Amino acid sequence: MSGIEFPAELQKKIDETSPVDVVIGVTGTADLSALRTKAKCLRGIAPDGENGQPAKIVVAYAGAAVADPVTALEDGMLLAEYPTPPAAEVMNLWRDVSAAQRSVLALAAAWQSRACMVIYGDLAGLEAEPVRAFVEPVVKGGIDLVMPVYPVSKHDGLINKSILAPMSRALYGKRVRWPLAADYCAGAKMLEKLASDGARAQREADLLWPSNVVAMNGGQINQAALKVRHAPPADGLDLNAVLQELVGSLFEEAEACAAQWQRARASQPATRQGEPCPPVESGEPVDTGPMVESFVIGSRNLEEVWRLVMPPATVLELKRLARLEPEQFRMPDALWARIIYDFALAHRMRRVSRTHVLGALTPLYLGWVASYVQEVAGATALEAERRVDQLGKVFEEQKPYFVSRWRWPERAV
Amino acid sequence: MWNQIGQAIHDSMARVMTQIAKLLPGILAFIVALLIFLVLGWLFAFVLRRVLTAMKFDEHVGRGARGSIAEMSPEHTPTVLITRLVFWCFVVLGLLVGLSAFGASSAEPGVAAYVFAYVPRLIGAAVLLFAGNVLARFLSRSVLIGAVNLNLHYARLLALGVKWLVLVLTAAMVLDHLRIGGAIVDLAFGILFGGIVFALALAVGLGSRELVSRSLGREAAKPSEVQPEQQKLRHF
Repeated sequence: MSGIEFPAELQKKIDETSPVDVVIGVTGTADLSALRTKAKCLRGIAPDGENGQPAKIVVAYAGAAVADPVTALEDGMLLAEYPTPPAAEVMNLWRDVSAAQRSVLALAAAWQSRACMVIYGDLAGLEAEPVRAFVEPVVKGGIDLVMPVYPVSKHDGLINKSILAPMSRALYGKRVRWPLAADYCAGAKMLEKLASDGARAQREADLLWPSNVVAMNGGQINQAALKVRHAPPADGLDLNAVLQELVGSLFEEAEACAAQWQRARASQPATRQGEPCPPVESGEPVDTGPMVESFVIGSRNLEEVWRLVMPPATVLELKRLARLEPEQFRMPDALWARIIYDFALAHRMRRVSRTHVLGALTPLYLGWVASYVQEVAGATALEAERRVDQLGKVFEEQKPYFVSRWRWPERAV
Repeated sequence: MWNQIGQAIHDSMARVMTQIAKLLPGILAFIVALLIFLVLGWLFAFVLRRVLTAMKFDEHVGRGARGSIAEMSPEHTPTVLITRLVFWCFVVLGLLVGLSAFGASSAEPGVAAYVFAYVPRLIGAAVLLFAGNVLARFLSRSVLIGAVNLNLHYARLLALGVKWLVLVLTAAMVLDHLRIGGAIVDLAFGILFGGIVFALALAVGLGSRELVSRSLGREAAKPSEVQPEQQKLRHF
């Protein structure tokens, strides 16, 4: 069981109508009238049943789910209201989205659905064609998870490019471009596993990393282009808070699944299906001066914290970088990978409080961003993609360093 | 007359020697008791550390509890903290037993009673000192990281200021708790704290008016300068 219980009325309706073919769940607050309108286009996104019956599709959204939580739409589709998970006590970027994703997956598991498509609350992904591209491989091809590839410019999704994607790839062995996605489709086999995700789902701070969970369970992962651009509400959240939330969760995931990722060897590609997204070019030059300055200020002031986190050779290398001219500033990939691994280890060992560990990472991250922006300044989006892929390879090459430090943290390096 | 002077000196020498002879067993008993408990404490701490390490106590201890220990004292694992606590408990116990033995075997029971009455204050002061020290380090580091992430060039100075402010406050509280210095500590602390605030007020209001206004102006202007660059980059 997923551990998520539904109100009696909703559970009764689920029992009456299950099994269904596809559950499409919207996370976050959605405009109900827009949802009803868009839901009409979903007819035929899944193949009909063996006896010619049309596929049973449930469109779910967050609400109170008390009175009459399931209503019938045209064409035999159902519109279900699932209980909104309690919001996290602190302002956050992704925790509430993850909690809603878990609820949707649990709902699909309760409905014994063959596939569950999770859609972000802005409904940008709720179109017939993209939904079909995600659902079909799961229902027909037996794929366990289809993750999105969003069309982004070389200056977008920088936390994902620098830390989340390369570290997930190195640890869990799947080359997934967006391991923390807003839209994806999961198969029946993985629904329970994703909804419950062990004991971690109970903890408020933990985000759901669908591709990592599926990779650890030996599932098959594909990627499909999704030509939408979401803008998660980051009002009132500074970069430090976002890093704390996203990177902190990835580090916690690494701690919880240490036994599994230490066994994973070289990464496997996640097959890309359909037409690739056209690259989004960003011609505007970016002034990296303020970011290099942040790095230099960090290097001057945070040495005592950095020395508790990283080995002396790495700190020395960072000191050397801080003396470079801003336009010559380049952070080598191997150094960046080792920094992230050292911070993951310090996060686990609690040599310094976790808040301080992640706070001390911010100037280093800005240093990486400055270095990356300067490197890809004259490059096309495709070349920048290759550059990010190269970083993922280096994270893999440095994995033995991480494994060794993880197993023998006190050993000198 | 010389005989009488000699006799008086001899008598006083005898009295002093008798007093010392009366105190000696008590002092010896105190030292022996303290040594025994020191050895016992070291042994218990050693055995406990081995047992906890074998049990992988640090890994098994609850997440929340471990997290809170780490927040307060990040460089020490739960095992180290527990073994040190046990060792120092034995040391304190040795001191108390030694004092009791000193009181029982000497003709000065008032000393032991006075010290015993003072022990709770000593323990309270030690706890205050420890908590203050840990808090000073934690706050100083928080301010340092926060200030660095705000791109403040004087981050380390701010952190150092916070650290010493908390340490001075702790020292005043400890001395007050131990009833050492009496009103002098209160007065000195009041003058010091008031002086710092007054100096800052003067710095802002008079002496460094232009410097401070330039600095504040620069800080206020920063977001609008950074904004266009921030808009070109999307971190998530």
